[in-house]
Amino acid sequence: MSQSIGSQCNELKKEYDACFNKWYSEKFLKGDIRPECEELFKKYKDCVMVAVKQKQIDKLLVEARKDDPFTSSSSENKGKS
Amino acid sequence: MKLFEATHTFFYDWSQVSAANWRKYPNANCPHVVAIDVLDRHVDPETGVLRTERLITCHQTIPGMLNRMCGGCTISYAREVSEIDPQNKVLKMTSCNLSMNHLINVTETVTYTEDPTNLSRTLFKQEARIKCGESISRFAGYIENFFIQRFRDNAAQGRKGFENVLMGQGEAA
Repeated sequence: MSQSIGSQCNELKKEYDACFNKWYSEKFLKGDIRPECEELFKKYKDCVMVAVKQKQIDKLLVEARKDDPFTSSSSENKGKS
Repeated sequence: MKLFEATHTFFYDWSQVSAANWRKYPNANCPHVVAIDVLDRHVDPETGVLRTERLITCHQTIPGMLNRMCGGCTISYAREVSEIDPQNKVLKMTSCNLSMNHLINVTETVTYTEDPTNLSRTLFKQEARIKCGESISRFAGYIENFFIQRFRDNAAQGRKGFENVLMGQGEAA
């Protein structure tokens, strides 16, 4: 498993990645798109966001999302129709 | 603006390749990628497309001139947005640099699609656009060429590294 930007998040990342990779191969690729691993993701993400703020990457991300927002394509289409 | 393009065929089916894509790092062939974090992720309930936003942390030296301008930044960050359509078997990833983007824009798009002529193979396409900002336009040729060469080297190493991940996955299965 790859490292996290926050060394304190490595364990949480490892648990989440393991859960996601299993879900991806065993569920998602077989047509079951119901999300799993949400709890693990929340814990891991909370940890990452602290590191992201500390390193002042949060502002860079806000700027980047202005040009290329992270939204689903269907919700964009809904807005247009 | 400079463009780098590459194509490759992986002798593994799309499902194997798309799963291995999440396990590519850490990779001995790509030591410059030091951390990868998922920032956001969801499946679109209507299309079934999985979208993921990741933060990539790299550690790699850059030309002295750029290094001085950004105050000795050997650590750089990139944002990657990927979309995986499991129905049509398409994986598309777009990455942009977050660091130094007032000086230079590096955008990379990678796609993995099922080979229509052989379903046990996967076609890989990579494209990078490198564009220097106005403030360093005088040195644009030099800097853009540097990054094109960097892409060429990293891409060749990345393919090799990915082949190793795929091979390992095959053995594990």
